[in-house]
Amino acid sequence: MQRAWVSVKPRGRGGFAMGLPEARKLGIPLMNLVRFKGLPILQQLHLEERLLRTSSDNWCIINDGTDQPTIVMGISGKPAELLEIKSVLCDHIPVIRRFTGGGTVIVDPSTIFVTFICNKDAVPGLQPYPRPIMSWSEQIYNKVFQGIGDFHLRENDYVFGNHKFGGNAQSITKNRWIHHTSFLWDYEVRSMAYLKLPERAPEYRLHCVKEAKQVSWRRNLCDLSSNIKHASWVDFTRYSNQYKARDHLEFICRMKDFMPRSIFVDRSVEATKTHFLLRSTESENIEAHSGTKFCHSTRLLTKQELEAAAFAAPSEGALSQPCSL
Amino acid sequence: MVGSVHLSVSVPGFSCLGAQSSISTVLLRSDCVLYVRFGVVSFNCPHSLKIFCFSSHALADLPLGGIVDVPLAQTGEGIAECELLKWFVQEGDQIEEFQPICEVQSDKATIEITSRYKGRVAQILYVPGDIVKVGETLLQIVVEEAQVPTLTAVVSDNPSPTDDGFEKAVSLGSDPRKNSIGGVLSTPAVRHLAKQHGVDINDVLGTGKDGRILKEDVLKYAVQKEIVKDPSTSLTAGVEKQFLEGEEDQPSVSSVVGHDYEYEDKTVPLRGFQRAMVKSMSMAAKVPHFHYVDEINCDALMELKASFQDNNSDPDVKHTFLPLLIKSLSMALSKYPSMNSCFNESSLEVVLKGSHNIGIAMATPYGLVVPNIKNVQSLSILEITKELSRLQKMALGNKLDPVDIFGGTITLSNIGAIGGKFGSPLLNLPEVSIIAIGRIQKVPQFGDDGNLYPASIMTVNIGADHRVLDGATVARFCNEWKQFVEKPELLMLHMK
Repeated sequence: MQRAWVSVKPRGRGGFAMGLPEARKLGIPLMNLVRFKGLPILQQLHLEERLLRTSSDNWCIINDGTDQPTIVMGISGKPAELLEIKSVLCDHIPVIRRFTGGGTVIVDPSTIFVTFICNKDAVPGLQPYPRPIMSWSEQIYNKVFQGIGDFHLRENDYVFGNHKFGGNAQSITKNRWIHHTSFLWDYEVRSMAYLKLPERAPEYRLHCVKEAKQVSWRRNLCDLSSNIKHASWVDFTRYSNQYKARDHLEFICRMKDFMPRSIFVDRSVEATKTHFLLRSTESENIEAHSGTKFCHSTRLLTKQELEAAAFAAPSEGALSQPCSL
Repeated sequence: MVGSVHLSVSVPGFSCLGAQSSISTVLLRSDCVLYVRFGVVSFNCPHSLKIFCFSSHALADLPLGGIVDVPLAQTGEGIAECELLKWFVQEGDQIEEFQPICEVQSDKATIEITSRYKGRVAQILYVPGDIVKVGETLLQIVVEEAQVPTLTAVVSDNPSPTDDGFEKAVSLGSDPRKNSIGGVLSTPAVRHLAKQHGVDINDVLGTGKDGRILKEDVLKYAVQKEIVKDPSTSLTAGVEKQFLEGEEDQPSVSSVVGHDYEYEDKTVPLRGFQRAMVKSMSMAAKVPHFHYVDEINCDALMELKASFQDNNSDPDVKHTFLPLLIKSLSMALSKYPSMNSCFNESSLEVVLKGSHNIGIAMATPYGLVVPNIKNVQSLSILEITKELSRLQKMALGNKLDPVDIFGGTITLSNIGAIGGKFGSPLLNLPEVSIIAIGRIQKVPQFGDDGNLYPASIMTVNIGADHRVLDGATVARFCNEWKQFVEKPELLMLHMK
């Protein structure tokens, strides 16, 4: 596990570190801030799930990039529906099924992760349901992106205008909730080719994609026909997947075009401080927080599972060519 | 579900038993729909019916048989269905109040559903992977087992051990179809179909997962027993469709077109804004309102509006009364901030809001919606006019952003735009005041010289939360606002 960022702990009256009772007396909920750089996403998700289920503190986790490109599906994600499994297997991209709901993302060292884990009464007046939590998070990021771009929460995505740069997912338990976001700082076009376009798309996206699809379909056909005259079947698959990636690109954008990385992280911390008293915590201290045995549901899908999914899916099954050429 | 449950009744024809916050039984009129916070229970039965409610308090009137239907409660606005992810309990388990019983997924969120009852799980009606509509029964719980002597619970063999209960598998025993409490695995829709055909569902062989009984199994059984001739009749499609739309009554056959078709009842499921209105009005009805009524002379307002229009060079801008009323309202709020506040019932605190985010009630083809203009205190009348126009356009196209609806601090309802002298508005919680303005009408009034003059009079009705605001505050606020409307030149005194 990567070392967490270390900062000076805030001091209360009398010079002792302010704990939860003291923060409560001031009427401000306390939140532990943990910062990582390059923490593998599987470890991050394991940590988050454990803190959600076994801790009684509030937490903010910021991970400045993960270690390698990884596909992360929601809790009920089905690989056959969401992924171009053949390409994923050929290129050995890890696939994780996380414990929160929501869609599929491909994350990499350029992605920035921000997570809030809170007790249900941490934010006064906030009802512990998906929509209110989503709207509350928008308040935080409104402050982060004030004056920069046309930031909105569109349904469940963070967008500039109509282009998504941040995806959200949540889990709400009896007494706590988690809201975590992956921010598309930058992305590789070819990475998007591993993902299928989801069947259920947000309303705001449908209007943009509908017209773009018609244009790109015609363009794809022309490009394909000029490129695949003497290519093998696998080459055809790769080419067609690259062009399919263009569909994803129609509705996403890079956050780096709007804000420097460090500024975003700093502003996010500052915005969080408007709701919470932040206390920086070292990662080693997190282990000490919880002695409860815990079995997390976030896991890496095995190669066998992915192969079985590919076999079961009719379109994938037809492209049964060996990976190595 | 987390949080407390409040049963609010706002439809005539109800009588409630018990205290307001611990209602256990409600008698319903036959054609009424009861919306319960965090849950939807809909009925369409021919007789008055005692329904099952979930309450954190001991029940004085337990339902007959002690079996309680636990529906999938509302988990958020606009969420009509969820995917069932996993069960934390199984049939036969003893469960405590507020114990997590299952996890569902709606869109982006996984949500733990907790039990409102202490009792024993009698029957689980869905398996992981099923899509459950809000309001459908998830499981049945036996609350008072002693009242049901013939009830035998299903006890599974060796449930798989877990660390903290999250990984409990649903194990239904060796032969769930032979369960004495009718614990066969099937959805309510399939049970209803069986009942319709006079089929005992316990006799049907299930071919679905874990012995689950499917629609086809019931039809096949019915054909075999010569109950029906053709299993592919459109009757079944009509039954399922009607059931999914919330009717539990004997369905009319939708495929049979009668000569009186135009007089048949039509079921309209409430969705989106209409559904949200059910919830918000039910909660608002719990709040003790008082209404303050006054008349405002709008002669000066009409002159000012005419002047704006005459000097308007922008064809995209249309000047109306509302922006002037909104700005003067904001001026008055600066002097009476308690009118622009939110009441936190649990902590007994009033939050005096810094921003004047004035909500404007709008009637759209999709229902009543209240978007708000943010920070009116910092906007000019022209800026308010443009923002109002934008919100109206978005509302009519059902394209309002959640940001536009969230965060309002006071609401203005221009019911007069449609008609009427005034109305008695219900609060838009958690706000503490709402103002309904009627149509401006030309009426005769006595001048200072004792002569009659025509005057444009608008009646206003201010609804206020009497837990927080008293009559004097509201009256003084109204006087302040009235002064700005009747003498808009006074607004210039505050111009910066």
